[in-house]
Amino acid sequence: MLKKFKLIALLSSALFLTNTAFAGETTADWLLSFERMKNFKSVTDKTYAKECGECHFAYPAGLLPSASWEKLLNATALKNHFGDNAEMDAATLERVLDYATNNAAEKSWYKRARKIANSGQAPLRITELRYIKRVHEEIPANMIKDNKDVKSLSMCNACHTQAAKGVFDSDTVNIPNFPDYN
Amino acid sequence: MKRNHPYKKIVASLCLALACNTSFAADSTLDLSLPAASASPKSFMLASNDTQPASVSSAAPKAEFSEPWVSGDKLHQYMGWTTLALVAATAFSAPGEGCEVNCPPPSQQPPRQTNGAHAKLAKAAAFMAAATVTSGLIDHWDDFHMEDGFTDPDNLHAMLGTAGALMMMYAVNKSANSKVPVSHAGIAELGGVAMAVAVKLTW
Repeated sequence: MLKKFKLIALLSSALFLTNTAFAGETTADWLLSFERMKNFKSVTDKTYAKECGECHFAYPAGLLPSASWEKLLNATALKNHFGDNAEMDAATLERVLDYATNNAAEKSWYKRARKIANSGQAPLRITELRYIKRVHEEIPANMIKDNKDVKSLSMCNACHTQAAKGVFDSDTVNIPNFPDYN
Repeated sequence: MKRNHPYKKIVASLCLALACNTSFAADSTLDLSLPAASASPKSFMLASNDTQPASVSSAAPKAEFSEPWVSGDKLHQYMGWTTLALVAATAFSAPGEGCEVNCPPPSQQPPRQTNGAHAKLAKAAAFMAAATVTSGLIDHWDDFHMEDGFTDPDNLHAMLGTAGALMMMYAVNKSANSKVPVSHAGIAELGGVAMAVAVKLTW
């Protein structure tokens, strides 16, 4: 019986050790939580939701690592935020950056965020992440780029009906103008 | 001599707790709906790889969409829960048969009960575990990649789930093919724990 417990303890220890890199929420928090953590943590900060959501879908912070958020959310970068001026006052910017970096991919236990953190990438665009590219690579251009109601892979919530809740499961996908996609 | 195995109940309770969990994280979600197109007429191409600008008005799905009740992903999920429930039931129904200390020769021991509730539940659990792994391989084939490394949650889920199912099948086979009481609970419990951890990793 002791051998059995030793094996279980070894297995559990190995599991915890492999996950120590994602210690934003503690291992115990994750282990004892019954909350579903399959996707991304939904946006919970009102300032972040308001400032980002005024112009585009407020992406869950777990979609990028903190290194990406730091490159994106600074006064200089926001003057030319993918072609637009997205400047904000210093206090607001600090709050938005704090929220984004504190909930970034490598600090989250949510599964898809961990997959992004595992990649080691820190791009400026979510669409350049290997994981995001891979899960969308089989979708033909006429469903995204050439679809007048989508137009770009960056428009997450055009197809992911529960994106605002951080849910990106395939069951919740509804591609506009392609009702039978699933 | 009959022995008590309180840890079996603990393992079974953990499995049941996992299987029964249906809580979701959406309660505290903010309203992230986009403003109407007329309120923000300027176009943007944030985070886009495309040269063509995308308009705000294209963001919201137009038709009402309801999530399907049955899908490959849901089927895999339901089968996983069923497996854990069967594992728990199997552990609870363990008769504690056999002798582990100071045992008489096998010829003097009572005949083994190999077709009781415990045996049937164990076979059902092993079968369901194999079916769950098969459905996962079919429906989630694109979700696990060696390039993501050992710590990738989907890779760990697949490895632990498969190992758990194999351990359960081995335990059932080991016990079913033995004419004398044979130790098989440890490997079966380890298989059940491996499957429970696999579920937790991607829950």
